[in-house]
Amino acid sequence: MKTESLDRLRSRISRIDSMPSIPVILRPLLRCLDQPAEQVDMNRIVELVSYDKAIAAQCIRMANSALFSRSTPAETVRAAVMCLGMWRVRDLLFSNSLSQVIPMERWVLDPAVFWRHSLGVALVCRKFAEMIEYADTEKAYLAGLLHDIGVLVNCMVAPDEFRVTLDKASREQIPLDEAERATLGFTHSDTGRVLAEAWKIPADLIEAIELHHDIGDPKRGGPLVALVHLSDLLCRMRDLGYGYYEPRQVDFANEPGWLYLVMQFPTMAELDLARFTFNLDEYAKEVGELVATVFAG
Amino acid sequence: MSHESLLLKDDAVATEILADPAWIRIRDLIYQVSGIYQAENKFYLLVSRATRRMKTVGVRTPREYLDLLTVRPNHDSEVRSLLNEITIGETCLFRSMPQIEALRKVVIPALVEAKKNLPFTRLRFWSAGCSTGEEPYTLAMVLLEEAQTTLKGWNFEVMATDLNDRSIAKAQEGIYNDYAVRNVPPEFMGKYFTKVGSDFRVADSLRPLVNFSRLNMLDDSKMLFMRGLDVIFCCNVLIYFDAKSKSRTIQHFYNALLPSGYFFLGHSESLFGVNEKFRLVHFPGATAYWKAGQAIPKAGAS
Repeated sequence: MKTESLDRLRSRISRIDSMPSIPVILRPLLRCLDQPAEQVDMNRIVELVSYDKAIAAQCIRMANSALFSRSTPAETVRAAVMCLGMWRVRDLLFSNSLSQVIPMERWVLDPAVFWRHSLGVALVCRKFAEMIEYADTEKAYLAGLLHDIGVLVNCMVAPDEFRVTLDKASREQIPLDEAERATLGFTHSDTGRVLAEAWKIPADLIEAIELHHDIGDPKRGGPLVALVHLSDLLCRMRDLGYGYYEPRQVDFANEPGWLYLVMQFPTMAELDLARFTFNLDEYAKEVGELVATVFAG
Repeated sequence: MSHESLLLKDDAVATEILADPAWIRIRDLIYQVSGIYQAENKFYLLVSRATRRMKTVGVRTPREYLDLLTVRPNHDSEVRSLLNEITIGETCLFRSMPQIEALRKVVIPALVEAKKNLPFTRLRFWSAGCSTGEEPYTLAMVLLEEAQTTLKGWNFEVMATDLNDRSIAKAQEGIYNDYAVRNVPPEFMGKYFTKVGSDFRVADSLRPLVNFSRLNMLDDSKMLFMRGLDVIFCCNVLIYFDAKSKSRTIQHFYNALLPSGYFFLGHSESLFGVNEKFRLVHFPGATAYWKAGQAIPKAGAS
């Protein structure tokens, strides 16, 4: 997007009374997780979880859900955290804190559909990153989780037009950003960038948010943008999209992002994409469980 | 809904499965020899079918069964028996809705676009290993439906081949029980089937579109004559072939397809490592292999 129109968008967003604010626990959580997995302090995680009663209850509920089928119920936050493991707790904390970013009544689309897609992309991004031996799998996860936060801004700044946009996208079976360009004149990548800047999240994540649809020259955005772009496409092809049919053929191995990653990561050449795709249906189950837990009340 | 899909909800089964790494190794073995992949959410299927085999051969643990599939004498024949169990009952009309949607919404429009400057308006599909005819009749129904819109004025035919004469004879009868038609959408049911007793008979409008014949896919001299095709379906057949025969057959399929043609496998089968010329392409909920032509359908960029 041109600087001039981006400025106009910024001022439009700054004028609204309630810009989505960064969730309280997000920053400490990011800091806490911004270190190698083996050094993450479990006590600190338990503390963060206990900080919010609703989240604590969700952890316990999930630990006792069918996904784990424990013989003895987990009754304390600590027991629940141990049972769920770092990743699931973190998934739960993130999706929970982010789902509180805008009030329930301001959602223009079904929040469960939105989080299903965001969490799906996050999981696929992390898995993808692991498989190609990209160093920062956690960052890949976060980039996936946050890539569509512009959708939240759209719900706040232009609810009526955005409702029309979503209808248009699903009726005409076109990608969301294409419908946004036609009806709003800006996309969720643009508004996502503005929000991410306001939240002061790291620059490479901002780029992933801004460029995940139009990756342009993949060298500019680097591996993170390519990973998010491909994971987003893959999720949309595997029933983890925005809930409507997109009639299209995607030739992943000839996508610019894919070709770029192949040059950067030799292990890409070994990747069995068909098998990776079949496995996505496994994540769909896990994502479903997580979203159900967050929205169960 | 079949009895087995109800088992999916049975979490005790799911936990038991994940507790034993031998199951994972059996899954990987099956993938390696056949290309059929059972994702974890389909694991119950692999387990229930393998358990059936284990009872038959008198083996108690998955670990012992893994030995039977790998190191014991005659392990090849046990692998074959297990594959038979896994694919049993997979044949039905409208087996994979995502594949059919992809055909109607992406593949057929792309083929029409790719062929728009050619003098003949004709599409040829091939159902290779058509068994008792469920797949070719499904394809014929899809083509007839599209003849109202995208394929107005086009000619089309479905070649249907199988090794087994008895299957072909049954396919030509075109009579199916209610289990075989369980996935057929109601609008197709009304249009293309008549009830005969408790069974269903395919409509006469479909029959001239489908040409049944016997063909051994391992017979190179016969395979060389298969040419000029736009779409090939070959589901759960190649899984029984050894690596060399598989690779040769797929090369025949590649040669049989016109540029821009598509090759569909069973919904969880993969060609990984078997053929480098085909391109794996994704549609919503389905994958296929594409023989890239000059006209490239709008892909990827959004």
